[in-house]
Amino acid sequence: MNNAYVGKVRAGEVIVHILLVLIVAFVILPILFMLVASFMDSRQIMAMPFNWIPSKSYFSSSSRTFLTNFVKAIRGNNDNNIFFRALINSLIVSITCAATTVFFSALCGYGLAKFRFKGRTFVFMAIMSTMMIPFEAIMIPLYMVSKMLGIMNTLPGLIIPFAISAFGVFQMRQYLLTFPSEFLDASRVDGLGEFNIFLRIVLPNSTPVIATLGILSFRNQWDNLLWPMLCAQAEKLKTLPLYISGFAQEKQTDEGALMACAFLASIPMFILFFTLSKYFLGGAAVFESRKG
Amino acid sequence: MKSKVKTYSIERKQARYGFAFTLPCLLFFGFFSFYPIINAFITSLTNRKAVGKTWNFVGFDNYAYLFTQSNGGFSLLNSLKATGLFTLGCFIPMVVIALLLSVLIMQLRKPWQKKFFELSYYIPAVLSSVVAATIWRIMFQPTGLINQLSNWVMFTSGRDYKWLTDNGMLVASTIIVYFWKYIGYFTILFITGLASIPPTIYEAAIVDGSSRWHTFWKITLPLLKPTVMLVSIMAMLQCLKTFSTQYMFVIGGTARKPIDVITMNIFYTGITNGYLGRASAMSIVLFVIMLVFTYLQFAAQKGGEDVEY
Repeated sequence: MNNAYVGKVRAGEVIVHILLVLIVAFVILPILFMLVASFMDSRQIMAMPFNWIPSKSYFSSSSRTFLTNFVKAIRGNNDNNIFFRALINSLIVSITCAATTVFFSALCGYGLAKFRFKGRTFVFMAIMSTMMIPFEAIMIPLYMVSKMLGIMNTLPGLIIPFAISAFGVFQMRQYLLTFPSEFLDASRVDGLGEFNIFLRIVLPNSTPVIATLGILSFRNQWDNLLWPMLCAQAEKLKTLPLYISGFAQEKQTDEGALMACAFLASIPMFILFFTLSKYFLGGAAVFESRKG
Repeated sequence: MKSKVKTYSIERKQARYGFAFTLPCLLFFGFFSFYPIINAFITSLTNRKAVGKTWNFVGFDNYAYLFTQSNGGFSLLNSLKATGLFTLGCFIPMVVIALLLSVLIMQLRKPWQKKFFELSYYIPAVLSSVVAATIWRIMFQPTGLINQLSNWVMFTSGRDYKWLTDNGMLVASTIIVYFWKYIGYFTILFITGLASIPPTIYEAAIVDGSSRWHTFWKITLPLLKPTVMLVSIMAMLQCLKTFSTQYMFVIGGTARKPIDVITMNIFYTGITNGYLGRASAMSIVLFVIMLVFTYLQFAAQKGGEDVEY
C-alpha cells in the first residue's frame, strides 16, 4: 500500500467525520436551544446575535429569577398548576397502553404462532388488515362511539382506543414462531394450564421484544395529540401534549416560558431514552422479525 | 386406536385455547377498527352534524361538495396539495439522507463512534412532536436563531428569510421540523437493514479489488433495495398522517392554508365546525390514499423475501 493511497483514505475518512459531526450539530442545536432558552426572557431569545449563555444581568434583575420560566410553565394558563396533573395523566395513559398492548398482543401472537385452529389464517389476516386503517381516518367515528359508550372525557376514553396494536400482534407472532415448542410441551407434561404456560413460560422468555413493543407503544401515546384533543376536554384530563399546545396558544410570545414547558415535558422521555436506549434503537426490529 | 382419539381431543382442546387467546384482539379490532371505518363510510353519505339529532342520507353529495367547493376557504383539494407537497418534500430527502448517513456510520471502525452517532441522531425522535414544533417555531421567528444562521451561511446580513410568513417557506419549515425529528429514526432503520447483510459478501468484494464506491452501488444498494422500498413507504405513510407539527404552527400564529394538511382539515371540519358527514368523507379519501400506499408496502415486503444472500 503506497502513501498516496493511505492519504486518500484518510482524507475520505476526515470528510465523512466532518459530515457526520455537522449532522450531529443540526440534530443537537435545537435541543441545546431549548435548554438555554428555558432560562431566558423573550428579549434575550430574540437577541441578535443570539447569546448561547444566559447573561448574568438577566438573573440579577429583581422581577425575574433563575426559575421564573419554569414557575410559569408549571402554573399554566390560569395559575391552576395543572402541569403535574397533565404529567401524571400522560404517564398513566402511556404506561397503561404499553402494558395492555404488550399483554394482549403477546396473548394473541402466541395463539396465532403456537396453536392450530380453524380460521387461524383468517384471524391473522383480519388483524393485519387493520394496519391499513389509520387512526386519522377513523377519529370522527371513534369520537362518536366514545360519546355513545360514555367514555368521552374520562381516562379510560383516552386509553381504550389504543389498548392493542395490530403491529404489536404481528411482532409478537413473528417472535413466538421461533419459540421452542418442546419447551411448551414439557410444561404441559408438568401439568401447567395453557394460560399459565403463557403467563409463566412465554411472557418471561420474550423480554427483548416486550421491551421494544412496550417502549414503542408508550412513545406513541406520549406523543399523541389528536385523540386527547377530541376526547379530553376537561382541564383535569389534559395530557402533556394537550397542556403544551394550550400553553403555546396562550403564551405565543412568551418564548422563555414555552421552552421551559417543553423542557420539563421532555425530561421523562430523556430519562427513559438514556436508560433503555438499547430498546429504543431496537425499535427497528421490524426487519429482524420479518425474517422469522 | 384409543391413544389416537386421545391426542385428537387434546389437540382440539388446545386449538380452542388458541382461538380464545386471539379473541380479545379480534373483539377489540372489530369494535375500534372495523366498525369505525364502516361507520365513517356510512356517515360520509349523510349530512350529519355534531349538533342536531336528525340527519339524512345524501348519497355522494359530500364527496361532490369537497371536490368542487371551497369548504369555507379550506378546500379538500388545497389539503391534498398541502399533504402531497409536504409528503414529497419530506420523505424523499429523508430516505436519501438517512441511507447516506447509515452507510457512513456503518463504515466507522470504532464501536463507540457508531454508538455515539446512533444515539445522537436518535434524540429528536424521543421528543414529542408538540415539543419539536414549538422549539422550531421559536427558532424560525424573524429575529430568531435560524434567520441568523441563514444569514451567516448565505453571506447576507440582516435579511429576513420569512420562515413563517412566506407561504412556500412555511411549508419548507414544517418539512424541516419533521425531517429533524425523524431523520435519526430512519437512519437506525437502515442501519438495521445494513447490519443484516453478511460481512462475507463485503470481504469477497474487497478480495476482488472492488472500490468502496463500486461496492456501494453494486453490492450494498441492490441488497438493500427491499429495505429502501419498505422504509420509503413507511416514511411516506407517516408523512401523509402528519398533524401535530402543522397544528402547533397554526396555533402559534402562522397561516393555515399553505399547511392545511388533510388530517388538520378533518379535525377542523369535523370537530371544530361540526360537519361530521363532510369530515367523514375526507377521512375516507385519506383512507383510500393510505390503502394504496400500504398495498405497495406489502408488495415491497413480499419482494424483499425473494432476496437471498
